[in-house]
Amino acid sequence: MATKKPEQFDRVDWSELSESRRFDLSINSIGMLVATLPLALLWLYDYQFVGEREATFQAIGLSRNLDPLDYFFVFTLFLFFFYLILPLYQNPRMTRYYWKEFRRNRPAVVSLGWLGIVFVGGLIGPLLISAPEQSILTGHQPPVFLSIDEANVANCVGEVVNGRCQGTWQHPLGTTRGGKDVFAGIVYGMTISMQIAFITTTIVAAIGITFGTVSAYAGGWVDEVMMRFVDIILSFPTFLMFLLILYIYGAGLGMFILVFSAFAWGGTARYVRSKSLSVSEEEFIKATRISGASTYRVVRKHVVPNVASSIITQLTLLIPGFLLAEAQLAFLGIGDSAVPSWGQLISAGRSDLAFAPWIVLSPGIVLFLTILAFNFIGDALLDALNPEAEAESA
Amino acid sequence: MSTRQPLLEVEDLTTTFSTDNGELTAVDGVDFSVDEGETVCIVGESGSGKTVATESVTRIVKEPPGRVRGSVRFKSRDLLEMSEPELREIRGYEIAHIFQNPQEAMNHCYTVGWQIVEALQIHRDVSDEEARAKAIDLMDKVGIANASSRFDDYPHEFSGGQKQRVMIAMALVGDPDLLIADEPTTALDVTVQAQILRLLDDLQEEFDMGILFVTHDLGVVAEIADRIVVMYAGKVMERGDVLDIFERPAHPYTQQLLNCLPEIGGKKGGIPGTLPDPLDPPDGCRFAPRCEHAVDACVTGDQPEEIEVNPGQRASCVHYRPGRDDSVVRDGIPDSTADGEEVSSADD
Repeated sequence: MATKKPEQFDRVDWSELSESRRFDLSINSIGMLVATLPLALLWLYDYQFVGEREATFQAIGLSRNLDPLDYFFVFTLFLFFFYLILPLYQNPRMTRYYWKEFRRNRPAVVSLGWLGIVFVGGLIGPLLISAPEQSILTGHQPPVFLSIDEANVANCVGEVVNGRCQGTWQHPLGTTRGGKDVFAGIVYGMTISMQIAFITTTIVAAIGITFGTVSAYAGGWVDEVMMRFVDIILSFPTFLMFLLILYIYGAGLGMFILVFSAFAWGGTARYVRSKSLSVSEEEFIKATRISGASTYRVVRKHVVPNVASSIITQLTLLIPGFLLAEAQLAFLGIGDSAVPSWGQLISAGRSDLAFAPWIVLSPGIVLFLTILAFNFIGDALLDALNPEAEAESA
Repeated sequence: MSTRQPLLEVEDLTTTFSTDNGELTAVDGVDFSVDEGETVCIVGESGSGKTVATESVTRIVKEPPGRVRGSVRFKSRDLLEMSEPELREIRGYEIAHIFQNPQEAMNHCYTVGWQIVEALQIHRDVSDEEARAKAIDLMDKVGIANASSRFDDYPHEFSGGQKQRVMIAMALVGDPDLLIADEPTTALDVTVQAQILRLLDDLQEEFDMGILFVTHDLGVVAEIADRIVVMYAGKVMERGDVLDIFERPAHPYTQQLLNCLPEIGGKKGGIPGTLPDPLDPPDGCRFAPRCEHAVDACVTGDQPEEIEVNPGQRASCVHYRPGRDDSVVRDGIPDSTADGEEVSSADD
């Protein structure tokens, strides 16, 4: 039996095939690199050669300026595209299955549509609509189809009928006291909300997943120290910290995102750790280890994908918290009033609530719907990605 | 047979786990060896340390809390002295594993093909196309119909038997010299079981692998084994050629174990009692508390040394010590040995 039999299948001469594959990257990673490189170069150019008060694209005649937040936002969009959208396209069968499961939840489908509008509006809206400008003369214009007592308006843009100023399409959702267009404000607010959603998610996911898996795999006292650190993070008074930073440095949107996401990953890390621990007990993890895979490979290729469904759900449910926190801070007047967020808009209208409720209501309803949408989608994702969880709760 | 070289030699293998209640000894000074192209079965009831023993060979036992001592020589290199990266080179490439439960041994996030390719690419710098071709070839080899079209299917689209075939294909990617099969047929129904055993048999011939087969199913043992190692509570009770053990089981435990085999018209018995507490094993022979032939000498000292009872067959039982009357146990051989025909017929 020790002699080779003729029908034995070819022993491949591996040394011949040993082309260096180590530098092979997946198409996703190549795309990510290709997309990120110009972005990094642009940032470098902006940082090195363009004056602080000059717009990034001044050289080509555009007045649009990019701040660090914009760069990070675009970077997270690339991440989102190359590691979430593209894989969905690459695995059509899986995508169809998830979509079928997801579709069963009607409110979630509507929510997805709504978030699509907010996303697209936030991305291209600012390019089409000019930023809301201060103009005292056209303050307190009513939304289209509504009217307001002439006494409250300095200068009615539309017609005045029976002493009431009628709304016009020029300001479909009316204007604020300062004459800023509410609709334009909402569209600009979409950008802010999307920036908050994407950037916080990226930061929380990156720190949380790394921390959680390392902690689960390191075990022993490393695990102990890391988890106690998570306890500290979780019990940290983020709000007070933010106030302190606000007091010292002044707090823009970037600072808000940084501070709040830097203290929000504790729950994710803990969750990832417990999930990783249970996944790493699975037989297929042993099977992978036994076939000679390194720990990094086991974690990266097997543990994280198996935990991913839970993480995605958890992160989706984390976003509304950030949006609300930002709105609350803006409403309280803490935060950068130059940032055209929904919260700022709501805060701007709070003194005129009696006769111009649209200033508060329009962005308020948009904010409400967006938060509701994230929650619905989170629920639907939980069911679609993680059928076991559904079975457990049933 | 005599020309065969020893492939794996395990000596005094001891695996302990530190638990909150003290040191748990799962495998206690076990020796065995596997020659090239040979099938060795480790037999014993659940909890007797079979699986831990095989997992200690490639040291995938979690350390800590586990601790593996002794010596495991594979092609004259000591695996227990190797570093983790060195071991990774051996795992899955020179020594491959297959498991009891193919449903759980696959990652449901990936297609079956992806997983075979992964197993391949862990050890080899091969292009994706090359790996795909080889993977399909292997799937074909292990008897999966329409291998190329099933390459992109997910594990849940395979039946249990097919999954086990895929697991075997994954194990074969590195042309292993030793295949460790940990109850690979236990989760499968009898007809599929037979197919898988036949497949392993064919592949063994083709790849000239040694197989270390762990099972509690004596029917399977009869079918596949060349040699048997009977384990109980972390100790080796008896070892020998498959025919000898089935025809003339020497150790009372082996006899009882064989007695448990369901036979048409025969008595179906279990072994009264349970495995001893691994945290606090009894003195003397581990099996003594459940043994019907136990005498005072059985419950003192350590596990009795292994004594040659027949050429090539050794048992760890005090009754075979020189100067003792071993007829007590020799005669205690189960009823079926009276008509040895019946037992050996299971061996075809």
